Amino acid sequence: MIPVEHYVLLSSLLFVIGSVGFLVRRNVLVTLMSIEVMLNAANLALVAFNRSRLRHAVEQAAPGPSHTGQVFAFFVIAAEAAEVAVGLAIVLSLYRLRRTVRSDEADLLKN
Amino acid sequence: MNIALALSPLLVVALGALLLMLAEAFSPRQGGLALGAATVLFVGAAVAGGVWMYGIERLPEAASLAPWLLLDRFGLFFDMLLCLGGGLAALLAGGYLVEHGIERGEFYVLILFATLGAMILASSGDAVTLFLGLETMSLGAYAMTAFRRASPRAAEGALKYFLLGSFAAAILIYGFALLYGATGHTDLAGIGATAATARTPLLVVGAVLVIVGVAFKVSAVPFHAWTPDAYEGAPTPATTFMAVAVKAGAFALLLRVLLIALGDASWTSWAAGWPPVVATLAVLTMTVANLIAGRQESVKRMLAYSSIAHAGYALVGVTALMRDPTQAGASVLFYLLSYTVSTAGAFGALILCGSHGREAVSYEDLSGLGRRHPAAALAFSLFLLSLAGIPPTAGFFGKWFVFKAAIDGGLYWLAILGFVNSVIGAYYYLRVMVYMYMREPAAGAPVALPMRSGYVTAALLVSALFVLALGLVPTRAIEVAVRAATLGAG
Repeated sequence: MIPVEHYVLLSSLLFVIGSVGFLVRRNVLVTLMSIEVMLNAANLALVAFNRSRLRHAVEQAAPGPSHTGQVFAFFVIAAEAAEVAVGLAIVLSLYRLRRTVRSDEADLLKN
Repeated sequence: MNIALALSPLLVVALGALLLMLAEAFSPRQGGLALGAATVLFVGAAVAGGVWMYGIERLPEAASLAPWLLLDRFGLFFDMLLCLGGGLAALLAGGYLVEHGIERGEFYVLILFATLGAMILASSGDAVTLFLGLETMSLGAYAMTAFRRASPRAAEGALKYFLLGSFAAAILIYGFALLYGATGHTDLAGIGATAATARTPLLVVGAVLVIVGVAFKVSAVPFHAWTPDAYEGAPTPATTFMAVAVKAGAFALLLRVLLIALGDASWTSWAAGWPPVVATLAVLTMTVANLIAGRQESVKRMLAYSSIAHAGYALVGVTALMRDPTQAGASVLFYLLSYTVSTAGAFGALILCGSHGREAVSYEDLSGLGRRHPAAALAFSLFLLSLAGIPPTAGFFGKWFVFKAAIDGGLYWLAILGFVNSVIGAYYYLRVMVYMYMREPAAGAPVALPMRSGYVTAALLVSALFVLALGLVPTRAIEVAVRAATLGAG
C-alpha cells in the first residue's frame, strides 16, 4: 500500500504547479485550468487523508469511522463546476467585447 | 419546529429568493422586484432580531445542526447585519438599474442568494458549509459585477474579481485540506481542540494558507489587487453589496476561524501565534490603501480604496482578539455595523448624484453640488464624515471602540498607527466635500444631475438614521455586539 506521504507530496506538487500557472500564464483559459489543478490538489489531499485515517481507525477498531474528507471532495467538485460556469461566462463576455482572452490585455481599469 | 425557528432568518431569505425568482420569470411587468428583494431582506433582518430577542438559548434543538451551522448570537448578529447591507444594496439597485437602463430581474435574485451565502458563511462551523457559503456568496458577487454586459470595464473588473476570488478559494480549501490531514477534523471546534495540543508543520502550513485565503476575501493588502478594479467596473449597487455584505461575511469567517479553530492560548500569543501576522496585515492595509486613495481621480475608486482601508481598521480590532476576545470581538462587530451603514450611504449618495445613464464618477462631477442640490450634498457629507470618523456619527464610535480594544490589549503602537491613518483618511473624504461646497463646475463642463428615486431616497434615509443613531447613542448597539461576541468565543 502506498503511504499517505506520497499522496501529500503529489498533492502539494499539484498545488504548486497550479499556483505558478495561475501567476505566470496570461491566457485566461489556462489560468482557469490552473485554478482547477489547485482545487484538485485539495481534493486529492482530502481523499488521501481520509483514506489513511479510515485505515488507521479500522486497525485500532475505533468506532464510527468518518468519511468527511471524501464527502468534502464531492462538495468541492460540485462548487468547482458552478464556479467554472460563471467564470467561462465572464470570459465569454470579455471576449465578445474585447476580442481577447489574455488577462494582460484587459487593462482598462487603472488608477 | 424549534429548529425551523432557529433557522428562520436563513429560511426567510432562501424562500424569498426562490419566490422572487418565480415572480421574475412569470410576471409580465418588471417593476417592483427591488421592493420585493428589499422587503425579503429587511424581513430577514427583523426575523433574526426576533430570534435574538426570544433568545436562541431557549431553542436547544438548534445545537443539533452543529457543527455544520452554529446558530448562536454571533450568527444572528451577522444575519441582521448582512440582511441590512443586502437590503440597502437592493434598494439602491431599484433606483440605479432603472436610471441607467440595465433593469433586469436577475440582479435582485443574485443579491438575495449572495446574501444567503454570506449568512451561511457567517453561521458555519465546519469547513464544508463554510466553503459552500463562501462560494454561494462569491458566485453571486461575480455575476453582479459582470452585470453590465455591454461594458468592457465591467467584464474586466469581473474577470479580475473572479480569477483572484477563485484563486483565494482554492488556497483556502487547500489550507483546510491540510488542517484536516493534521487534525482529522473539518469542523472548526475539532481543529481547535487538536491544534491546542500538537503543533505539526502540516498544521502551521494549513493555518497560514487559510489566513491568506481569508485575507484575499477581506481584501487586506497585499492581497487587495482585485478590489479597486472590481469595485470600479461593477454597477454601483453591486459595488455597495461587495463592500458591505461580502466584506462582513469574510470578516465573520475570519473571526470564527481565529476564535474557534486557532483560539487556543498557544495560537493567540504574540510570540508564536497569528497576532503578529494579522497586525502586519492591518498596518499594511490601512497605510497603503490610505496613501493610494488620496491620489484617485474617481470618487468611486476612492471609495473602493477607502473600503480597503476600513478593512485595515477592523483588522486592528481583530489583532486585539489575542487579549480579550469578547471586547475586541465586540469592537470589530460594532465597527462592521457602522462601516456597513456609512459605506452603503456613501455609495448611495454617489448613485443619487447621477441620472439618465450619466453617472457621477469624478470629483469634478460633484463640484458645486452643495449649491445646486443641497439635499444630495448634505446626505453625501454625512456619510463621508462618518467614514472619516468624525463625531457625532457611527464611524467615530466604530473607530473609538476598535482603537480602545487595541490599547486595552497593550497594542499602543497599533492604535497610534490606526489613529494617524484615520487622520490621513480624513483628507480624501474632506476633499469630496471641498468640491461639493467650494468649487464651481468649469464653464460648459457636463454636470451630473441627481436622479429622483424613492428607492434611493429610502436607502439613504435608513442609512442616515443608523449613522446618526449609532453616533449619538451607541450604548445599545455595543451591548448587542458584546453579547454576540461573547457566545461567538464560546
